Amino acid sequence: EIRLILGEPGPNRGARAAAMQHFVDEVSARTDGEVVIDVQWGGALFKANAAVGAIADGVADLGTIIGVYFPQEMVAYGIADLPLVNADSWVGMRATDALIRNSEPIQASLANQNLVYLGTFTTSEVNIGCKDAAIRSVEDIEGLKVRGVGAYGDTFRDYGANMVPMSIYDAYQGLDTGLLDCSQGYSYAVGALRQEEVMTSYTLLNWGQVGALGIFMNKDVYDGLSPDIQTALAEAGVSMADKLGELITADNEAAIEKMRGAGVEIIALDTAERDKLVERGETYVTEWIAQAGGAGLDGQALLDSYNDLLVKYAEERDAQGYPWTR
Amino acid sequence: MLKRFEQFLLDLAAAAVAGLCLLITVSVVLRATVNSGIPDTVVLVAELMVAAITLPLAAATLARAHIVIELLAQNLPRRVQDWLVVLGSVIGLLALLPLLYAGWHEVSKTFASGSYYFGQLNLPKWPGRLIFLVGLGFCWLRLLIMVVGDLRTILRGDHIDASGGSTKEMMAEQE
Amino acid sequence: MDGTVVGLVAFASVIGLLAIRVPIAFTLALVAALGSFVIYAFRTGDFTPWRALRPTSSMVFSNSFDLIHSYDLSMIPLFVALGHIAYRADITTRIYHAARVWLTHVPGGVAMASVVGCGGFSAITGSSIACASTMGRICTPEMLRMGYDKRLATASVAAGGTLGSLIPPSVLFIIYGIFTETSISALFLAGILPGLISLLGFLLVIWIWVWRDPDAAPVYDQKVTMGDRMRAALDAWPAIALFVIIVGGIYGGIFTATEAAAICVSAAVLIGFAQRTLTLRALWESLRETCIQTASIFFIAAAAKIFVAFIALTGVAPAIVGAVTEAQLSPAVLLLAIAVIYLLLGMFLDPIGIMVLTLPLMIPLVEGYGFDLIWFGVVVIKLLEIGLITPPVGLNVFVIANVVGREVPIDRIFAGILRFLTIDVLVLILIMSFPIISLLIPGSM
Ligand code: NA
Ligand code: NA
Repeated sequence: EIRLILGEPGPNRGARAAAMQHFVDEVSARTDGEVVIDVQWGGALFKANAAVGAIADGVADLGTIIGVYFPQEMVAYGIADLPLVNADSWVGMRATDALIRNSEPIQASLANQNLVYLGTFTTSEVNIGCKDAAIRSVEDIEGLKVRGVGAYGDTFRDYGANMVPMSIYDAYQGLDTGLLDCSQGYSYAVGALRQEEVMTSYTLLNWGQVGALGIFMNKDVYDGLSPDIQTALAEAGVSMADKLGELITADNEAAIEKMRGAGVEIIALDTAERDKLVERGETYVTEWIAQAGGAGLDGQALLDSYNDLLVKYAEERDAQGYPWTR
Repeated sequence: MLKRFEQFLLDLAAAAVAGLCLLITVSVVLRATVNSGIPDTVVLVAELMVAAITLPLAAATLARAHIVIELLAQNLPRRVQDWLVVLGSVIGLLALLPLLYAGWHEVSKTFASGSYYFGQLNLPKWPGRLIFLVGLGFCWLRLLIMVVGDLRTILRGDHIDASGGSTKEMMAEQE
Repeated sequence: MDGTVVGLVAFASVIGLLAIRVPIAFTLALVAALGSFVIYAFRTGDFTPWRALRPTSSMVFSNSFDLIHSYDLSMIPLFVALGHIAYRADITTRIYHAARVWLTHVPGGVAMASVVGCGGFSAITGSSIACASTMGRICTPEMLRMGYDKRLATASVAAGGTLGSLIPPSVLFIIYGIFTETSISALFLAGILPGLISLLGFLLVIWIWVWRDPDAAPVYDQKVTMGDRMRAALDAWPAIALFVIIVGGIYGGIFTATEAAAICVSAAVLIGFAQRTLTLRALWESLRETCIQTASIFFIAAAAKIFVAFIALTGVAPAIVGAVTEAQLSPAVLLLAIAVIYLLLGMFLDPIGIMVLTLPLMIPLVEGYGFDLIWFGVVVIKLLEIGLITPPVGLNVFVIANVVGREVPIDRIFAGILRFLTIDVLVLILIMSFPIISLLIPGSM
């Protein structure tokens, strides 16, 4: 029996934790119980901003890395955080997974850091909820006090939003007291944090997602495993994306229903307005290509393959439906 | 010489507290008045926190301000108490070693790789780590000097005055 | 090598080293580093020390550095600075003068006022340590100067500080909410009544203490007229102004609870300069004092964080919770067992660390018993708050010890704490027996 330690910054609750548990169970099942993974939840071993070093140094054998904490080390993975057009969780995860898993330059850059990629999550599509305000067009953004997420927040800033530094957990109070007008976030998180109680409108941006978070493994430990176990880890990683896609899609839909029930106005942002956001967000895509170049990667080529993969998995979804509905 | 440098580090730490206070205040005022702010406040404040907390450690060590529980020790013979003070410092020397080792490793790694924080300014990660290393490094040096001094005191046949000074008394000593 | 054994040896070593006067921060850091080294060295079965070097140092570094490298925790040095600056700007002395002339005939009145002050301060900060640091700096030296019993002057504020996490806002409730997916706002509301009951309990302790030992709190026997009182109250305006700014700012949506600390310090400096009670030199000395005081507290907190990561490696927490799960206890006995576990862990570990280590296993267990998670949250937070004032590692007590220095040894403070612990246990039993105390307010919203 091989016991591995997995470090996870989040709690053992919610869709992502369930997908993580699914990964752990799948690894056990696919190795006939030879590999057992002990999860340390809640950042008990290391916080999210120390994950790259902690996994590379063997503090844990494997663990979750959140890309935004490592814009330089995880520059290639950062592609999944870019404000590109794809609001579908499953499509995003599978495209990211296929890109990272199969790109030799990315694998080499990870290996340089003593890391191996195993599987990917997503926080799902970024939307925005407001109190006593409503975003129906980009003009509405001007002058609002907003809690933002990565490049999506930066784009809002470019449209005149005043960004307030605050965690998603404090957003409830921020909206309640009027410190915030709006908070960017994810539908399931709005539901879990009861933010619908303090929101009056919720705009579905139909834009993109934050997807650069996933499980990575210490390369020394990985190399010491048999090829069968390595295969099992990879398959469990892909299966994790399918599982999270199923769970998070359902959670997001349920949360939006809950918001409707609480009297929150659900606004679907007009496509033309959405395109203005996408256009402005291209600055950050260009910036990323330059950063990738600085790390010795061909950013434009990676972006092209990523866009192709997004199309590919969207087509697969349209032709066959999601894996859990097949 | 070292003592003066420790005072300088303490002044830097005080400046860091003033700096982070000013940074937060100005960003709140800008937000409330002209609907604007200072970029990357969160990262800047966190970096200043490292300076505020680690740079005074050497001065705190010199003042024997590290908190101890004396309940049992105070009933022991005076000579034994002296040796326990030395033991405490030696344990401090050992406890700091892995932090210094890893701190050095971190500074060189983040400096060489050019790691930075996500944000508008893409601030580098190495300065905070370097400050951490400097703060703990001087704390270690101070402990070492104190161990040597305390051993001399014991060998001379004198006793160590190790009662931790309150902050107030400590400041009086320094003025 | 069995992790649980390593963990238990570590707990014993901590007690042993603390008993022989080794500084708390050094003890926790060294035991955690050595323990982790042993666990990493034995991970592959045989003893491979060279393989343990990198993970041990990496783990020790990241846990201590990340604790210090924190935007949110900046409120602690800032609130400590507020205490120092307000003292040097003559703001605190005036509040105490006002409290003294108003509470002439109330035995122990100033200690009670300090505890009520802690309760008020809890409404603006989410951290018990911040609460104890600020109020400790403001209240304790004044009480000592008035001739209060040293145990009473220190213990009342250390205990009062624990209201910080029970009365909203509260960092601990936020973390509990994340781990249980319960409504953070409901948890905040649930903490209000238990917080107030704890506050009343502390007042009762002071009342009984002074009633049995009148010398513990000297009464101000000068003749005081109504005019004196009004003048004293008017003189205390800067403190009242600060309180209005901070509460109005947070609840009026102008700044966050974290930002409030900085705003308050800036406002105190402005008031001090405007009144010509604060000089630049005094301001600088306040900041230097602040740094030394916060450095040694953060040093302990950082070492405690390393210790938590080490305990996570040992698997002690799942072993304990697993044993409780398998025992299939009755609900009442389970609750008792949980209380004992949290009190034991609370002797050594910090509240956030304990939650991170235990909640992932504890919550499914108590859910299986059908416990209300909001009420259980209040029980857990109350237990964790008690841990802040129990020996040997009681962060709130260390904070106060730090302020008073050699004037009051730590074991004297712990001796005073004993009386407050008694009432805390009674309040705890009340909260555990009557869930309605916690659920009344959130239920009515
Ligand atoms: Na509070
Ligand atoms: Na304790």
